[in-house]
Amino acid sequence: MKKQALEAYQLSDYHNPCGIYQQRKRYFHKGPVWLVRTIYLTAAILLIMIHFNESSWAQTEVSSKSYRYSERELASRSYERHEVKPRTYPVFVRGGRPQREAVTLSPIAEKVRRRKYLADSHWGLKFYERLTCVRCHPRQARNLHYIRAKITCRQCHGPEPIAGLSHYYSKMSPRRRHAFVCAKCHEGANRSFASYVNHEPNPTALTTRKSFPLLFYVFWMMVAIAVGTFAVFLPHAFMWGLREFLPDNFVSALKERFVKWRKRDGQD
Amino acid sequence: MARIKRFTPAQRMFHLLLMLSFLTQAATGLARLYIETDWGLFLASLFGGYNGTLTIHWWVGLFMIALLAVHVLYVLIHVDWRRFPKSVYGPDSILPRKEDLGQALQHAGWIVGLRHLPRFDRWGYWEKFDYLAVFWGITLLGITGVILYNPVFFSNYMPGWVLNVLLWVHRIEAVLAIVHVATIHFFIGHLRRHNFPMDLVMFEGSVDLEKARHERPAWVERLEQNGNFHPTLADNRSNALRVFYYVFGFSVIACFIYLLVNGLVNASGLLG
Repeated sequence: MKKQALEAYQLSDYHNPCGIYQQRKRYFHKGPVWLVRTIYLTAAILLIMIHFNESSWAQTEVSSKSYRYSERELASRSYERHEVKPRTYPVFVRGGRPQREAVTLSPIAEKVRRRKYLADSHWGLKFYERLTCVRCHPRQARNLHYIRAKITCRQCHGPEPIAGLSHYYSKMSPRRRHAFVCAKCHEGANRSFASYVNHEPNPTALTTRKSFPLLFYVFWMMVAIAVGTFAVFLPHAFMWGLREFLPDNFVSALKERFVKWRKRDGQD
Repeated sequence: MARIKRFTPAQRMFHLLLMLSFLTQAATGLARLYIETDWGLFLASLFGGYNGTLTIHWWVGLFMIALLAVHVLYVLIHVDWRRFPKSVYGPDSILPRKEDLGQALQHAGWIVGLRHLPRFDRWGYWEKFDYLAVFWGITLLGITGVILYNPVFFSNYMPGWVLNVLLWVHRIEAVLAIVHVATIHFFIGHLRRHNFPMDLVMFEGSVDLEKARHERPAWVERLEQNGNFHPTLADNRSNALRVFYYVFGFSVIACFIYLLVNGLVNASGLLG
């Protein structure tokens, strides 16, 4: 790779997979056009072939990849009963107790944020053995994985000790979550897929405007479209239905009657 | 009694297939949305449980997308390309025209007793709205549905957190479509005095001439003036078919009302 291209690559956002393709595109366009087109066409045909051959290729025996986990491993929440006891000794905390942060936090925020960095995020909690996850994290239980697929907290967050999200070796760390957690059921999960917000905030809540703005605005936009449609067409249909019970000459008859009344009352 | 043709057999078939596939999508989709309630569990059990429901929802969804594609082809084939720009802006076209806005306002004025009834041509503005809404609905629901069914594949091309947003878009748009069909479309099509108890035109393909002259005077007059009136006259209907259409139509309406009512009754189960 030439120095210029290397710099461009380094400048590009490495989170964005398209960045790599853009570099390749530039490189290819230096060649003759027919060659580039042939390569693209071959790649497209190969992609299509791979896609349609997928099930035989992977030699899978289940009808759908995403069902495998729920069909085979999911049974009666038995994961809650074993491999869940916290260790009886204090686990190793990297770098000792976490450092004080520069910004002064509220007492609760301080506890929570510090725990994000612990190898055992629940270290030192009193009566921890007797608690369930949902007792302290009730809001976190309201997600599709927990409610619909009956996947327990530990099936994703792992056995004890449950590491804090920001701990270097945590399986839930964003840098390896897709491989260690998501891909257990979602075969082929990548980093982008792992950015799905499983513990989704309530889209109606005002706090979501800051935590997940796109969800908040799209939700209310869709609701506005729906409410707007019904606000116009429901009264319209209902009043149309009422109006059809009146004769067609209803207005003119009313006017005539009105004129008669006016004449009778001597106003004209 | 003279009858006048309004829909071709192909158009009636499109509506029939759309109707049945949309009913299936509504039932399976609501079953999954309401799976936390007893009603949702019952509804899902009819389609093979939570996972079986999704399989049906996926295949019928693909069918609806294909149906839209075939319909677009059908439209492209049937457009009068010789008189192209004029033919799609003419009164026989179902595309919105400038006159439609005026007619909608005049019709609203008529409803509250301020204006005379507008002289509708072949398609009323509400029919155009219903027809074009399907294009928007199937496109939006189809795209979001295909992405949500293959989240791993499509997250190669977009951030994974967009899936959260798409699920809500899919849900709200679907509820909008179901409620619109179960209330407004059925009310205008069947419950109005003009059409009560059921407008069979979409099944039979023909409408009574006097009825058409009353509701769409501009259309009938235009046909008579153009001299191509007689080819549009249709045969008389068979009574056995009419009975079948009534039974079938009312069954579908009953299914939708059942879904609507139970959806409203069990809505509190969604919040818990």
